[in-house]
Amino acid sequence: MEDTNIIELKDLCMDFKLAVEPCDSLKERVVRGLQGRNEYRILHALQDITLNVKSGEVLGIVGSNGSGKSTLIKIIAGVLKQTKGELKVDKRKVQLLTLGTGFDRELTAKENVYLNGSLIGYSKAFLDQHYEKIVEFAELEGFMNEKIKKFSSGMSARLGFAIATAGDFKDILVLDEVLSVGDMAFRRKSGRRIHELIHGGATVLMVSHSTETIISHCSRAVWLEKGILKMDGAPEAVCQSYRSYMNAKA
Amino acid sequence: MKMKINTEQIKQYLFVIRQLSSREIKRKYTRTYLGILWSVLNPLLTMIVMAVVFTQIFQRSIEYYPLYLMAGQILWQLFSGATNSAMTSLVDNKTLLTQVKQPKIIFPMSRVFTAAINFGYTFIAFLVLLVIFRIPPSLTMLLAPVVFLCTLMFSMGIGYILSCLYGLFGDIRYLYSVLLMMWMYLSAIFYSVDYLSGPIRVFIENNPVYNFIHCFRKVMIYGQWPDGAEWLRMIGWAAGGYLVGLLVFRKTEHKLMMHLW
Repeated sequence: MEDTNIIELKDLCMDFKLAVEPCDSLKERVVRGLQGRNEYRILHALQDITLNVKSGEVLGIVGSNGSGKSTLIKIIAGVLKQTKGELKVDKRKVQLLTLGTGFDRELTAKENVYLNGSLIGYSKAFLDQHYEKIVEFAELEGFMNEKIKKFSSGMSARLGFAIATAGDFKDILVLDEVLSVGDMAFRRKSGRRIHELIHGGATVLMVSHSTETIISHCSRAVWLEKGILKMDGAPEAVCQSYRSYMNAKA
Repeated sequence: MKMKINTEQIKQYLFVIRQLSSREIKRKYTRTYLGILWSVLNPLLTMIVMAVVFTQIFQRSIEYYPLYLMAGQILWQLFSGATNSAMTSLVDNKTLLTQVKQPKIIFPMSRVFTAAINFGYTFIAFLVLLVIFRIPPSLTMLLAPVVFLCTLMFSMGIGYILSCLYGLFGDIRYLYSVLLMMWMYLSAIFYSVDYLSGPIRVFIENNPVYNFIHCFRKVMIYGQWPDGAEWLRMIGWAAGGYLVGLLVFRKTEHKLMMHLW
């Protein structure tokens, strides 16, 4: 069990077509088509990524903005489809957690728990059962009938985190920047919760800007830069090189 | 993997659809006093206005003219409301599309579902009107849900196509509003096709939305069973429209994600 690859990527590429001059109207499209000017620039978001993740591993993904981290996890989660290459993973087992997915500012916090929860993939029964726990974890007792638009950004982020991590995930958990939320106390608490999830036996992929987060949680790390897998190894070593690269750039 | 859809999953999709459309409804009526009641009042008031305007002209030749009008009105509202809102569903939920693993078709679907709920309310108003006009209950009324479902399927199909088109070209919205207006006038909502002859009549009689409205009137107001050709057209349009829509959606959805990204 320990040695089986739960995710396998082979020479995976992702290209985005970007119009040189963006056009969203039919007329422009037709006029340009007639003039033969429908030009595209290809953006290589990911280039020949080969990566295997073993069951039970906690893999951190670091990289500067626009390096392809989010694209990579979205492909693994099945939200986007790669242009080329192979991906072997049971997409039904992948749980993608982003904070406050689909929060609607005009709805109350309680309504948002159900909306957000349903989108993440929780059933109604599950949400009914865990509602109290979510509110308690987010420390929002007494605020649940307020509209989210009245919340501070910290409050809604806490709620987002509480919903996202309410479940017990046994399979593959993908965390997109969910750990740098709220004040110090809440960060410590959320760190503990993530730890619990990891020890519950899930395979975890986490994207974070914070190298400390990666080092303290992950068993392995990869560094993506401009769509290329630059380094793969122990979190300390990878984060070290990434940090010195960033420092050199700045 | 796509074929293996279990009941658990379907239940989850329905839950998401319900959540999305309940958000839609709540948002639509924030800052109003009457809230959801407006979805009953709106068609009712429109019906009254139109009845005042047209009754003199049409009541001698159309039996139960106000009912005739309202039946057409609420079914038209279902179709136009569903397709119009489904059209913008993908663009409106752009950020969600890239964050959530739910199938993308859920977004246009939930808009159609919202229109169906609105229809439910207007249908209650319509039933009240039936009682006021002393329409005797008839067995044919049991067919109303079938007509409703066919209209819904057809609307979904059109909605899928529109949502893709709108994702690619914003212009579709304006084109469609013109098309909808034309379509409405060609659906015999406030007049009867009996006044017409020649190709225009044939055209209207083959208009799928008119066909739904016509059958709905027959079973609800006049206690008549739709004939074979009407059945065939109704089910054919519903199934055909839905399948074509689904196919278009499946074909474009990937391209669209790249475009909206």
